[in-house]
Amino acid sequence: MNIAWKEISKNKVKFTILGSIIFLVSFLTFIISGLSNGLSQDNAALIKDLPNGQFYMNADANEKYSLSRIDDDVQATLLKEHKDATTMSIQMGFVNDTDDKQYSVAFVTSTDSKLFPTVAPGEIVLDRSLEKDGIKVGDILTNNQFSGEFKVKGFVDQQKYSHAPVAFISMINYQEIYRVLEMQLVFVPGQDTAQDIASLQAFSNKEFLNTIPSYSAEQMSLNMIIWFLVAISGMLFAIFFYMMNVQKIGLYGILKALGVKTSRLFGMMWYQMIVITVIALGLSVALSQGFAMIAPEGMPFSLTLATTIQLSVLFLVIGFVGATLSGLQIKKVEPLQAIQQGEV
Amino acid sequence: MTIFTIDEVTKTFTNGEVEEQVLKGINLSLKEGEITALVGASGSGKSTILTIAAGLQRASGGEILFEGKNMADMSQEDIRKIRASEFGFVFQSSHLVPFLTVEEQLLLMLDVSETTMSKRVQKEEVAKTLKLVDMHHRKDAYPASLSGGEKQRVAIARAIIHKPKMLFADEPTASLDSKRSKDVMVLIRELTKTLNITTLMVTHDEEMLVYADHVITMKDGLIL
Repeated sequence: MNIAWKEISKNKVKFTILGSIIFLVSFLTFIISGLSNGLSQDNAALIKDLPNGQFYMNADANEKYSLSRIDDDVQATLLKEHKDATTMSIQMGFVNDTDDKQYSVAFVTSTDSKLFPTVAPGEIVLDRSLEKDGIKVGDILTNNQFSGEFKVKGFVDQQKYSHAPVAFISMINYQEIYRVLEMQLVFVPGQDTAQDIASLQAFSNKEFLNTIPSYSAEQMSLNMIIWFLVAISGMLFAIFFYMMNVQKIGLYGILKALGVKTSRLFGMMWYQMIVITVIALGLSVALSQGFAMIAPEGMPFSLTLATTIQLSVLFLVIGFVGATLSGLQIKKVEPLQAIQQGEV
Repeated sequence: MTIFTIDEVTKTFTNGEVEEQVLKGINLSLKEGEITALVGASGSGKSTILTIAAGLQRASGGEILFEGKNMADMSQEDIRKIRASEFGFVFQSSHLVPFLTVEEQLLLMLDVSETTMSKRVQKEEVAKTLKLVDMHHRKDAYPASLSGGEKQRVAIARAIIHKPKMLFADEPTASLDSKRSKDVMVLIRELTKTLNITTLMVTHDEEMLVYADHVITMKDGLIL
């Protein structure tokens, strides 16, 4: 007989209240996580969406790519050794349309690579967010440090850097705008271990992301919020199951007196924890995905399936640990004490 | 035939440095199909001996022999198994599970006793037992909607559904009025005789003693 389910169905209000607390906390965590991931994408999708590999910049650039200038010979050697490698440079800037409306962009240029769109001199490929701002293929854009004009060649999805849309331009145009001939970075995709190259410092994708000052500070704050929420959820789980178990001490005692195994009482508690948590998580996953669809235009929100599953599993583990810790008192329940306390 | 023997059982409670001996060497033999009533003033040790016999607490010394096996030497798990399959309990309060119907209370007890009966036979057995205690018409009711007498009848049905060899009843009529007390005692006596159960009962109500085969009076941890 499934007495755990019988109790849930007879005490719907009590279990609904408990479930709603779990739902609210997990929903809040999913939303904050979605916003955090959204901001992260908005800040560094250009880098995050690259395959795993190694970034190289000048060792004396103080881990700031904007100060890095890679020597031509070193660059040529690396490109020769690794046929998929590419050199790239990133600088914040702006473009103007024919109505002189200004758009902030992150100019990115690279050597030929399948990782980035190919652009010829005078062409520009933009992140699709600028298409929503009214820019169309074929439009003419200018920059006050560039003598020519850019013709919009097309748009790419999810290419953001430092919360600005990315603008891919040719190396020649980039060199003219920023008066620099050397490239800032070499990226070798698929390289697991960094190569020891004199005068260069290597970074994995994750390490490179952390060299972007705004990214690391922002992510640290958001991750701290998420982990605090997860920790608070764990404590809430434990407290609520503890309160529920305290209320049921008499019942547990009577069931023990009748001969019910302690393991079955734990099973009853775990079953109830899993049922409540799974229903609450199911609702919060559905609602947070719904939120992703109705989130205001421009609000960075990204809740991937992987993050959803990770957080859901984490909540189940926390619920299980919280319920088990609070349920340790079941072991201590004396049937005799429960009988002497009167009606359950 | 003697099925249950209590031999020189003692019980001492320690409160800080103070030791209090509440049972000072109790000897008792219980025979199949008989009701033995323990009476005595409050603090005489009658409930303590009943709970020790029922395996709900350990004795400090002596032997408790059930079908020749000493329960004092058994593990907690072995005692639990005996409680689940061989013993039935009726307490002062009915102690029914609040979220189970009358029928489910009895099905739970069959489940706990690890019966080999099929689900269909279990239901038939429950119906038969509820008819015995005249509660079949309330099989779908929850404890909250039952009167005190009805609850106690269900508690008795739960105590006997798995056909225990022993029935322990601790003040089973204490929460009932005079008429319902008599009804409950008639029922316990009938079941003891018809099902050949051995019943050990504690009561402070002298009117209930007429239903017992043996009456044992206790005072200050000793049988008089």
